[in-house]
Amino acid sequence: MNMRYRVAVVFSVILAIGAVPLAAQSYKAPRTAEGHPDLQGIWQVMNTAAVSLEDHIALLDMPAGRSVIVDPPDGKIPYLPAAAQKQKENFKNRAKADLLNQCYIPGVPRVMYLPFPMQIVQTPKYVLIASEFGHALRTIYMDGSKHPGDVDFWIGDSRGHWEGETLVVDVANLNPETWFDRSGNFHSDALHIVERITRTEPDLLTYEATLEDAKVFTRPWTIRMFLYRHREPNFKLLEYECNAYLEDAAKESR
Amino acid sequence: MRKLDALNLLAVVGASALMIFGPVPGSSQEKQKGGKGKGGPPGGEQYGPYYSAPATPGNPVGRTPDGQPDMQGFWTPRFNQAIFEVQDHPAAQRGIPPGKGAIVDPADGRIPYKPEAAAKAKELVTKNIYLEPEAHCYVSGVPHAAYQQFGYQIVQPAGYVLFLTEYAHTYRAVPLDGRPHISPGIQLFRGDSVGKWDGGTLVIDTTNQNGKTWFDMAGNFTTPAIHVVERFTPVDSNNINYEALVEDATIYTQPWKIAGQLGRHPDRNMELMEFACVEGNQDLIHYTEAEGGKAKEKSR
Repeated sequence: MNMRYRVAVVFSVILAIGAVPLAAQSYKAPRTAEGHPDLQGIWQVMNTAAVSLEDHIALLDMPAGRSVIVDPPDGKIPYLPAAAQKQKENFKNRAKADLLNQCYIPGVPRVMYLPFPMQIVQTPKYVLIASEFGHALRTIYMDGSKHPGDVDFWIGDSRGHWEGETLVVDVANLNPETWFDRSGNFHSDALHIVERITRTEPDLLTYEATLEDAKVFTRPWTIRMFLYRHREPNFKLLEYECNAYLEDAAKESR
Repeated sequence: MRKLDALNLLAVVGASALMIFGPVPGSSQEKQKGGKGKGGPPGGEQYGPYYSAPATPGNPVGRTPDGQPDMQGFWTPRFNQAIFEVQDHPAAQRGIPPGKGAIVDPADGRIPYKPEAAAKAKELVTKNIYLEPEAHCYVSGVPHAAYQQFGYQIVQPAGYVLFLTEYAHTYRAVPLDGRPHISPGIQLFRGDSVGKWDGGTLVIDTTNQNGKTWFDMAGNFTTPAIHVVERFTPVDSNNINYEALVEDATIYTQPWKIAGQLGRHPDRNMELMEFACVEGNQDLIHYTEAEGGKAKEKSR
């Protein structure tokens, strides 16, 4: 390989590596009337995080998929030893122990990657995230207010602010009984989440969440995935009234 | 400790409802109810699930950034006792207190049922009250959602009106972009709503309901043929006039109309709480499995 060619190759490799984050950063989302990035629309994941956040093989009605955990680099949830054991039990008992199977409110971040569309709307005071699953609703307060005191909610309490292109949401007051996925990955009442939602392309949101819970994990860890815009004409949320279907199924099996 | 706090709050909410109205079938008294120190929800300690803000004059109606008349905020329904029974009901039945409903047409204040439909409604309230949809934590249909217990929050992002309800922690999203209804092949508890501003009035047309919701707690049922046109007219910053035309030729002899007002909640620091319904539902424990509940034997 002559010198000139080699330089050209090295140079184009540098270009190629540099191009990815450069392109991601150069997109600037359109603004709302208040001047914030406009994240509005109907969005949905195209992954299997709802089955497991970690690498997982397929099981009946549960497709295989790759880990969405980007930190730690091994893609595994950094459980404390006792918690790792508890997760294994959860997995075994998942049909009964997963409260989503009883149609409970999914919690955060699980509601963000269920296989259901969700709509984001913005006003000066709020960012709202409405999921088709059980009409689940998240209100993200954008007025600089603080989390409430000693009370928990199935969907947690979300307070957000803007950092440039990114909506940063602090989530606390989470009910300890929700799981992250159908594989029994779990947390305690000490869970604290920081989400970062960025419109990195016109029809793409990058969703990132860092989860810390010193009672269950050895260190904070981070998931990252894409949310894709539904572009079908007149697309709208329908409904998945889980508890009604559960009753119907119980009646049919009697 | 946290659970205890929630239960204490529940006891307060339940007790206040009991004091005012007596025991109400299928009501929320035992359901799990979140609560924060800050402000109070439409159904918080101070106000109770059936609180109605008194009519107080407000400022002229403002505009949202996209030019809609601004109705944003927390609203409580003033619909007489329609939340218990939508039509005038002079006698108490099944724990439902006597009172006025919200029907303004026909003039007798009663639903103009065809005879067989009237018989069905009567049977539901006298024999099958366990079917009351809210006892099962179903989301309310339309127009019941407009006079929902605990009231609701209206939010108006560009191109939409959203109603966020504390009961069951749900939402109703109404697009304003002139789109058509979804196909009649799809039926939903909430139905399919499309809206438009007609001057100072928001007109919402709702079809595609599934016939599994009631107007109230008193057996006044619906069918999938129901068509509802609602009109929200903000009068000032504190008051909205509401009316809804209800049509269903399968069970009514004529279209009928309900009317009421929404009053802005006086607590300006309000935040919507989470009324997690399925998660703490005790109502079905009172009904046997054969009745759609969870009890092994009849306890009543």
